[in-house]
Amino acid sequence: MYRNYAKQDVFSNEVGLTVRLASMNTSTTSLDTEEAEDSAVSDESLLIAVGNTQDINAFNQLFERFSKKIFALGMKLTRNEQLANDLIQEAMLNVWQKAPLYDLDKGSAKGWIFTLSRNRCFDMLRKQKRQPSTISADDIWPLESGAEPASVHDDMAGQQVELSLIEGYFDQLSDPQRAVVEQIYIKDRTHEEAAAYLQIPLGTLKSRLRLGVAKLRNLIGVDQ
Amino acid sequence: MNTEVKLHPSTELLNQFIQGELVTGKSVVVSAHMELCKSCRAKAEELQAHAVSSWVDPGSALQSDQPSEVDYSSMLASIVKSPQIKSEPIEELVEIDIDVLNHSIKLPKVLAKAASEGLQWKKVAGGISEAHLFLDNETLCEFIYMAPGCQVPVHTHQGSESTLVLDGSFEDELGEYKASDFIIRDGQHNHQPRSKEGCLCFAVLDSPLKFTEGLARLMNPINSYKFKKATSRLA
Repeated sequence: MYRNYAKQDVFSNEVGLTVRLASMNTSTTSLDTEEAEDSAVSDESLLIAVGNTQDINAFNQLFERFSKKIFALGMKLTRNEQLANDLIQEAMLNVWQKAPLYDLDKGSAKGWIFTLSRNRCFDMLRKQKRQPSTISADDIWPLESGAEPASVHDDMAGQQVELSLIEGYFDQLSDPQRAVVEQIYIKDRTHEEAAAYLQIPLGTLKSRLRLGVAKLRNLIGVDQ
Repeated sequence: MNTEVKLHPSTELLNQFIQGELVTGKSVVVSAHMELCKSCRAKAEELQAHAVSSWVDPGSALQSDQPSEVDYSSMLASIVKSPQIKSEPIEELVEIDIDVLNHSIKLPKVLAKAASEGLQWKKVAGGISEAHLFLDNETLCEFIYMAPGCQVPVHTHQGSESTLVLDGSFEDELGEYKASDFIIRDGQHNHQPRSKEGCLCFAVLDSPLKFTEGLARLMNPINSYKFKKATSRLA
């Protein structure tokens, strides 16, 4: 579905893009076919496509989905329309620049974009108030501020033995099968996200997964 | 690391923090506490998830009309020409000498960064030293060191004071505070902190202290002056 869309060149019609942005303000009920199709692609897949292949269409999609939200966040924090508009540029530029650093371990795409937007807004306001630049928003909200690695290991200690057993069998899978099983069962990604990450069609992913899991079950001795 | 943190920022303060609504000084002290406190990190993550879902909720109150006449196509065209960042920046380690201490401690990263231009310690009274940091125009931010056995004159706060204990401990009428504790004091509290073993704190005041007893009251105009000076240096 996404592939079909990627073939269209949004930039071939810049006016069209502006019109569609403007129409977002008024119509939320009448989804045309294209928009309905677009909403089926997850924010995560779009962001990963921007990071992996500099996919401009995917970036335009993200812009359409988030620019209004970023503007609203900017208005709330700065109460200034000009600054809120500047924030769209600052935040979306940052999304483009940092997209290669995004992966699903960093949480949802919208959470990641929220963090970038809030941080750019914070720095923008500091700059405007001429506050010293010894620290920036990224020092205050480190991007990896989520779970601490040590605590994760604590929680998993009990499962360690079982896991190491499975890991042994894991090596007996073919490389493509192992990559898929890893995405789904270890990194906990959805089929769609894993396919986008590995850059393989969804159907291929599903068949590799089925074969990989069947082989693992066989090796471990679980009844199918 | 102290695993028994007893005092934490309120849920409201954490929420303002993740929404980006706090001034820099307050944001820094909350962030420094979070670096030391696993439970606040978990709580903040939950609050952020909540904030994000109301942010993207089409029916949320947080909606503003984006001027529809703005043409974003040239903005988009220029953005996609910028180079992308392919790898995480290497984190520079900032080391800070706390020369009032006779042992070394590891500061939370955000504080080490904030203090990376160096700390200038000043002895104020009876075994207390302060080093100011200039983070924004609305708060007075300082490291405070209390030498073993020293005592701060009784005072209240006109605004609120957020204090993070970094090393050692201190106590007042309301309790004892240890490393990683996050304490908020405001106009309702009349308190007299003292420290038996010595204590290093980072404190953020959003208005000057007011001494309420004895000769120390004479210092009130000076405190106001100090606050104004500290916060206007940037203006």
